[in-house]
Amino acid sequence: MLTYCYDGSTEGLFSAISHILRHEPDPGAAVLRKQGYSLFEEGIFIQADSKRADEMIRRFSSAYPRNARDVLFCVYAEQDGIETSLLHYIHLVARHGSGISGHLTHPAVSDIRHLSGKVAREVHRFKGLMRFSMLEDGSYLARMEPDFNIIHPLSLFFSNRLQAQNWFICDVHRSLVSRWDGKSLDFGTIESFIVPELSAQEREVQALWRTFFRHVSIPERRNERCQKSFMPIKYWKYLVEKQ
Amino acid sequence: MARKQKNEHGVIGSLFKINLNNSGHQSKSFLHVFFGLYFCMDIFEKLRVLSGSARYDASCASSGSTRQGLAGSLGNASIGGICHSWSDDGRCVSLLKVLFSNECCYDCAYCVNRRSSDTERASFTVEELVELTLRFYRRNYIEGLFLSSAVLISPDYTMERMNAVLHRLRRQERFAGYIHMKVIPGSSAGLVAQAGFLADRLSVNIELPSGESLRRLAPQKERESIIRPMAQLGETIGSSLIERRKYPSAPRFSPAGHSTQMIIGASPESDLQILRLSEALYRKMSLRRVYYSAFVPVSADNRLPVLNTPPLQREHRLYQADWLLRNYGFSASELLGEEAPFLDEHLDPKAAWAIRHPEFFPVDVNKAEYSVLLRVPGIGVRSARRILAARRFSSMTPEGLKRIGVVMKRARYFITCSGRYPERFSDRPSIIRKQLIAAGDSPVSAPALSGQLTLPGL
Repeated sequence: MLTYCYDGSTEGLFSAISHILRHEPDPGAAVLRKQGYSLFEEGIFIQADSKRADEMIRRFSSAYPRNARDVLFCVYAEQDGIETSLLHYIHLVARHGSGISGHLTHPAVSDIRHLSGKVAREVHRFKGLMRFSMLEDGSYLARMEPDFNIIHPLSLFFSNRLQAQNWFICDVHRSLVSRWDGKSLDFGTIESFIVPELSAQEREVQALWRTFFRHVSIPERRNERCQKSFMPIKYWKYLVEKQ
Repeated sequence: MARKQKNEHGVIGSLFKINLNNSGHQSKSFLHVFFGLYFCMDIFEKLRVLSGSARYDASCASSGSTRQGLAGSLGNASIGGICHSWSDDGRCVSLLKVLFSNECCYDCAYCVNRRSSDTERASFTVEELVELTLRFYRRNYIEGLFLSSAVLISPDYTMERMNAVLHRLRRQERFAGYIHMKVIPGSSAGLVAQAGFLADRLSVNIELPSGESLRRLAPQKERESIIRPMAQLGETIGSSLIERRKYPSAPRFSPAGHSTQMIIGASPESDLQILRLSEALYRKMSLRRVYYSAFVPVSADNRLPVLNTPPLQREHRLYQADWLLRNYGFSASELLGEEAPFLDEHLDPKAAWAIRHPEFFPVDVNKAEYSVLLRVPGIGVRSARRILAARRFSSMTPEGLKRIGVVMKRARYFITCSGRYPERFSDRPSIIRKQLIAAGDSPVSAPALSGQLTLPGL
């Protein structure tokens, strides 16, 4: 069993996968780890190579768009220890075609599909739970603290849905921000964050939303357990109706 | 009480005014500020009353329609629907669910808004409702609007107002979010047709599962006035789909189909009668969904049964049976018979069917076709599809089944894996029944099911 390692970056990951698929006779038996992941076992280090990584991602996405989505979502998960499964999954797809994603009893396929499913669920959840508030200058700001790094797919979603207004989405823990100015989408990082002044209209609309939320539930059917199972408390921090 | 709340909003209202004056970036005339203030005071009361009286409608689905946002328009629609919140009763909040008005000229015994009830009354204006929808949508509170209404003056008068809201939203504000509108029974065909080209989904509520109960509890509603628009919707949706196949640019008519709702427990009909009616509605009227709403006692009318709590468990079982009708290939007569016309409260209808039909089992998961797999308790639509995909690569084992999401504590009594039994099928149904009940139903209670599921094609 051969062990490889990479520098921990996304580029490094795909450079390593590309290298192993090219040079390793049996990629299905290879192990890939982040450098320094294990104290005792260091493997062959593969240098990050952005050209090679780009090439690999481009070719894989155009040949197997649906499987590429699974891979991409696993990258959003930023989870250590998934690299070997990713390597094996990409190897299996390249060898047997996209249908292999149905081979759910295979450990690598099952790992990847399971993780990408978790990320996809969080993306879907945030499409509903994101809350924008109107700032003094008329633009909108949404703050969130998701488990996974999903600012990219969410920003794309809102750039279609709320295209007539200027907005920012901010991932508070990762200090990431995206900006839509009505025409184009930009991504960036933030150094420090000062909660800006809300517009006058904002307080009124928030109070209206809370009024609606309170009265739309049927008191005779009260069921907070059910509410929390769909909308876990960890998401309540930025929910207007839960403040 | 009402006065006190008004005062509170008066404070918010005055804040609003001061801020407007201070910020100064909008040069509004005094008159504008005055009207802004008035709007601010009154809209809270209206929203409180009109969301409070709309909450007994079970449907909140925003699925079934897909629409891309275009330059200059607001919003889009997403095929699987999106839930934006969950209220304290555990039901999903996807749409701004309100009545246009609760000033009703009908007197239906089961309804909170009946004429003889002493509830507070209110009506929105078209502008207020449009503004509210847009403001909520821009903040991503909602997926769109769910608009229903009491019968204000006459069915046609009410429908005209509601159509005006939709027209303003779609044509003037270029709102591309989801709209579900209730058709007022007895309104004219022309108004229904107009609404169909503006809304994503239209629906007519049956409310009571038989003509007899309708006569007794809702004397002003005729069966005919409900069935006629429903048939019209079924036909027009069908012909619009055919037309769009020929001419893809033809306008969509209620693209997310139509649905209805029945109140459970306000009248004496059995589950069998209810499910037969649902089955007929799915087949003959091509409905997307039938919603069941456990009756919440809202009046002491002596025509109504006395209930301490809404029959939530019964509602839950009916939803499960409804799922079996739509997605699992069961028929109403398979699930219930004249000799036992009510669903088992303790066991889900699919497991109950399986126990009554030992000759059907065990099913070999490595050979059985899709429709047979679907009948195994513990295997749902998703896991049946996964089994079909996975067994092309290797044969299924009990561990493999568990890995792909089959609920083994229920399925184990009914399957073999190429001749291997996870559990020898007992020929004593009473034992299996006990074990299935002990294995537990899904802990999610009834309201969860009236929320949204993202199965394709709903």
